[in-house]
Amino acid sequence: MAIKGGKTWLVYGGLGLGGLAAGFPFAWMLLASFMTRGESLRRVFLPESLQWGNYLKAWQEADFGLYFENSLIIAVIQVSGTLLFSLLAAYPLARMEFRGRDTVFAGVLATLMIPETVTIVPNFLTITWLHRNMPFAWLNNWPAMTIPFMASAFSIFLLRQFMRGIPNELWDSARIDGAGHVRFLFQILLPLCRAPLLTVGMFTYIGSWNALAWPLLVTNTPDWRPISVGLQQFVSEAGAEVHLQMAGAVIATVPVLLAYFLIQREFTEGISMSGLKG
Amino acid sequence: MDTRRTEQLTAWAFLTPALVVLVGFGLFPIGYAFYVSLHKWRIKKEALIGFEHYVRALGDPQHLVFLLLGVGIVWAAYRLRSHLLERGLPSAYVYLAWGILLLPGLWVLFELGLNGLAATGDPALYNGFKVTFFYAIGTIPLQLSLATGLAYLLFKSMRAKGTFRILFFLPYVTPVIASAVVFRTIFSPHPSSLANRFWSTFGFENQRWLYESKSVVALFLQGVGMETWPTWVDSCFPSMALTSIILYNIWVYVGYDTVILLAGLSAIPRHYYEAAEMDGANGWQVFRHITLPLVSPTLFFLSMVAVIGTFKAFNHIYIMRTPGARESVDVLSVAIFDQIFEFHNAGYASAMAFVLFVAILVLTLLQNQVLGKRVFYGD
Amino acid sequence: MKLKNGIAGVLCAVLSACGGQQETTQEQQTDIETLNPEGQEVVFWYQHTREREEALQKLIADFNQSNSHGISVRGEYVGRYGDIYNKMNVGIQSGSLAASLVVAYQNQAMAYYQADGIVDIMPYMESSKWGFSPEERQDYVQAFLRQDNVGGAQIGFPPNRSMELLYYNLDWLRELGYDKPPANWDEFAKMCRLAKQRPFSKSKDTSRSLGFLLDIDTSRLAAMVFSRGGDLVNADGTAYLLDSPEVRAALELMRELLAAGVIDVAGEQDAELNEFVTGQILFSQDSSSGLPFYKSGIEDSGLDFEWGVTHPPQTGETPVVDIYGASVSICASTPEQQLAAWLFLKWLTAPEQQARWVRASNYFPVRKSTAKELQGYFAENPHYGVAFSMLDYGKSEPTIASYQQVRRLIQKAMVEAIEGENMDQVLANLQLAANKTIEQ
Repeated sequence: MAIKGGKTWLVYGGLGLGGLAAGFPFAWMLLASFMTRGESLRRVFLPESLQWGNYLKAWQEADFGLYFENSLIIAVIQVSGTLLFSLLAAYPLARMEFRGRDTVFAGVLATLMIPETVTIVPNFLTITWLHRNMPFAWLNNWPAMTIPFMASAFSIFLLRQFMRGIPNELWDSARIDGAGHVRFLFQILLPLCRAPLLTVGMFTYIGSWNALAWPLLVTNTPDWRPISVGLQQFVSEAGAEVHLQMAGAVIATVPVLLAYFLIQREFTEGISMSGLKG
Repeated sequence: MDTRRTEQLTAWAFLTPALVVLVGFGLFPIGYAFYVSLHKWRIKKEALIGFEHYVRALGDPQHLVFLLLGVGIVWAAYRLRSHLLERGLPSAYVYLAWGILLLPGLWVLFELGLNGLAATGDPALYNGFKVTFFYAIGTIPLQLSLATGLAYLLFKSMRAKGTFRILFFLPYVTPVIASAVVFRTIFSPHPSSLANRFWSTFGFENQRWLYESKSVVALFLQGVGMETWPTWVDSCFPSMALTSIILYNIWVYVGYDTVILLAGLSAIPRHYYEAAEMDGANGWQVFRHITLPLVSPTLFFLSMVAVIGTFKAFNHIYIMRTPGARESVDVLSVAIFDQIFEFHNAGYASAMAFVLFVAILVLTLLQNQVLGKRVFYGD
Repeated sequence: MKLKNGIAGVLCAVLSACGGQQETTQEQQTDIETLNPEGQEVVFWYQHTREREEALQKLIADFNQSNSHGISVRGEYVGRYGDIYNKMNVGIQSGSLAASLVVAYQNQAMAYYQADGIVDIMPYMESSKWGFSPEERQDYVQAFLRQDNVGGAQIGFPPNRSMELLYYNLDWLRELGYDKPPANWDEFAKMCRLAKQRPFSKSKDTSRSLGFLLDIDTSRLAAMVFSRGGDLVNADGTAYLLDSPEVRAALELMRELLAAGVIDVAGEQDAELNEFVTGQILFSQDSSSGLPFYKSGIEDSGLDFEWGVTHPPQTGETPVVDIYGASVSICASTPEQQLAAWLFLKWLTAPEQQARWVRASNYFPVRKSTAKELQGYFAENPHYGVAFSMLDYGKSEPTIASYQQVRRLIQKAMVEAIEGENMDQVLANLQLAANKTIEQ
């Protein structure tokens, strides 16, 4: 959509202002991460020279290497699980007639509405029980970190909205070809869902990357702890070493940013195709 | 008949994995919280006390009855109005009848119901509701309008789209523990904090930001030289501390909303715009009559997510809470946290959480009823 | 079979996971003497990170090597205090507490104890076979032990303590015409006023020059009250006494200095530390555990001035200082494991280990004879030595169960007081609200 010449500056002026507001706290973080402690104590704006050593120090002291690996593995498991579960659940909610559909959907949404502070205890009880009664370990292992979040109501909601927008003719012709629901979902719908799935995957990834209280609860050793735990140890530690804290924060943010950068085009598309119709 | 059965079974089979997880980790905790709330419960279950916690939290049950009664009357008034209007009665009579029912209804609702509850219930709970309400009102409309504006500009721009998209999304991907710490420093009362430096370039006096429990309106009055003001000025507006946190929240979510709205905008078929252009509509008219209605489903979705989000907001508020703010930033989820972690009172905290749950549920349903109807779902 | 078990299990989890079916071991403690801690595994949950954690891990490794019972301790960082509470909470509820030792503040320990999550340590301390000799027991600073003693039960055991100190900028004081820190609060106020007028010569930003930063924290106020000979509780420690003349005097002085603009409220994390090391405030009242950070901060800021620590200004004959810190509790498990946990705790607080822990953490030891082991350290860290010498003046904050709640009330009152509200009203409300918490 072209714009008439004279208004270009208005558009970019507005965008620039918004960009500045969105970007400047991060810029502040970035700048602070390159300072010496003296500079950050004196509250200067710009570091005299870039202290790359801060990153090295933060990386080593917070043991980010290990946490990075954990976070990645957890993210992969959780994202794939969430995608599969949400896809399967969204399909009947969007495209099938069955008794209790609205109740199920309302129930799914209701799970969004209770604060985490009070869900943490009962969920731990459930995990403990599973840990004792299942053939594999849940605590201190990936199941406790990922499975409770695999059926996110948000993901199901988003995918359902998307699937509702797909023309019925597709299903009709598939049925004439003798396809059942399973084949229709995985052979015809799945390729169409690429973009919204990426979207859901991205949100899941961000969520898993930043989770903190729950991972600490279900692990006792760093073996399965994600990067946010490493960052927390760093940010809360006494000594007010703001420059190192900020370096740690930047390190923890970069992977998410990178992922977003790589998929952002399709990510946006994913939301647009869902149309978010009610 | 048989195929219908198969259909049903298939549907449930598809749902099973997600439902098992959702029931186990989503619904069970809600039931559990309710169970806990009926007991005296510190770390372990002590005595069954029924609804005592709810009475302590909400207040005298008789006022609750009044509250529900008031809601019922108001609802009946609305139903009556639309009923009468449908029948084609002259609108003057309809509105008279409506008013006669509505006014006492509102009085019962607010005076006998809400006021009575607030007077007999837990101040922390009602303060929590008030602050949560300020917080939601302060963030959602502003955040969504800003995002709509930015998304529209971004949509109109030709170049650097990707860069701006990344830039706007930055706040959302930064870990909360990091960005809230940054904002705590920015909004500190120190004279050379960024907020104060910015503020003083306009010639204003330094503010205490996150340490300020006075309401923004009171501060404004103070700024223009007034020395006294009625107490409602302090109690009916958000404090400066809460306003700072609201700014943080807007900062985090504007980009997220923008990105999603941009997607909604891109999905609008081009021919709408072309038709409008041929009709000679100006920019604002296009925006108002084409863009806005067509992104309304996206806006509606975002507002639902935002309402649930603001009512549950916790982490950043907890990090940015200062003693100076007193209880002016203690949203309900913070009050619940205090009950568990400071006062070791899980039973009471669960009752508060359950009240919050019901509040969000009612609000979401209302929103669905009121706003959902105005959403334009295309042709 | 498995399924049936499963259903029963779910029901169990729902109905009785928290129903108190967990066996407590109190009755079995009578035969501590005959227990055999051989080969026990002990998990220790703590909040320490970085240097402190490293030192602690080294100590643990040495214990595992050297103890004659083959006890093996494993130390685990499990988050901050709130996270630890979370873990204890769910561990106790699910009957699967994974730790044998846990760091806890006194009010947390109280909650655990009431839920049978931790045990009374007294029987171990008094055991003839595993406990202390009279000399050993006397060697502990008795006040520290008392902090964790609730109604005769020892619900925690102190591995270390910290003290509320007054940090002062000696170079600046000299510029103002003094050669030592303030002897009393009047002098403190006078110095603060002078500091406002005459910024520190080495400061790089003279636009901000203050006497002091007030952190809205109960321990700050407690220290100010103690130093005036007051207390936060009545004589027998059973009720709060917060509308006392000492509390009033402390709050009024802060209010007066704030109104005069010679001090400010600490509005950022570590604000006192940061502004002290950059020469913007003359005094800082802070925990002794911050000593190394003050030291490195002054080096890093490039100001390199002479500074010192002392007790907060006093009113009476002898100074009184506020001493505090989290303790370690023994979790309820098997009698053997509890005993093994105790043996580690006892070892950890022995002078030799304490000296090592002190060097790494800068905390205060809890046994007096540790001083002998620390002579070299005092020489290297004179400020620490000064603080150590004041341990005898230590006094602890209230040990009433509701104190955590009251801390919040006190902070609220501090804010009200400094914002100019009616002092009589503020103190009366505080006193009333605080004592109401005892009833609950």
